[in-house]
Amino acid sequence: MSDKSLLERYNYDEFVPDKFMPWMRFAESPELGVAAPDFPLWQLDDGAETSLKAWWSKHQFLVVEFGSFT
Amino acid sequence: MNEVARKYAEHNVASIFLYTNEAHPAERFPHLTSMEQKFEHAAALRDDLGVTRPILLDALDGACHRAYGSMPNMTWIFNRAGHAIYKSDWTDANSVDNALGYTIDVAKRRRARETLAPFNVQRIDYRDADRMAFFNGLKRNGRQAVDDFIAAFGPPPDGFDSDSDDDAD
Repeated sequence: MSDKSLLERYNYDEFVPDKFMPWMRFAESPELGVAAPDFPLWQLDDGAETSLKAWWSKHQFLVVEFGSFT
Repeated sequence: MNEVARKYAEHNVASIFLYTNEAHPAERFPHLTSMEQKFEHAAALRDDLGVTRPILLDALDGACHRAYGSMPNMTWIFNRAGHAIYKSDWTDANSVDNALGYTIDVAKRRRARETLAPFNVQRIDYRDADRMAFFNGLKRNGRQAVDDFIAAFGPPPDGFDSDSDDDAD
């Protein structure tokens, strides 16, 4: 699977089951209570790179809502 | 969710919105092909839909989103040690409020030196299911989003007008 293929499949161009259903993977998501995976993220306001860990390590708790405009 | 974020901020609870792929791409907000475009869409989320929490962007390939199950609008809560303590495959402010209230209380009990041991629990929560509001949201994205959803899951509620602009703000 090439990176281009992944980019196109993840950023699907129409909401049809063959394209969105493969991404419904909540049952395979990380367990609670163990070290969670960290990833680089980018701040909308200034474009600076940050990470999940940078946020959760600075607060008692961190709430993360995943989503998009659509 | 903005209100929940404000409610718990005094307890050192941070709340962020993590921008992913487009769940219902359409004419106004098509599928993403660049980070520049992703920044533009995220800015529209802030400016048009009024998200006041800090907005962070995932990589274009959704590395973070995919690792956490890639559901279109899920919510996770992490503690300072980087352990997830709550995950929900759909975002509902009442559910998150309930989880945070419980979690903050547990933190207080621990500070009071109660002896507590973690355990796992699963339950079904219930969210608002306003189909008219949902379809109006699709219409805001563009006609394609409405047509795609109808093709996948059936007709809209009675009274939904896919042609008017009245409800698409």
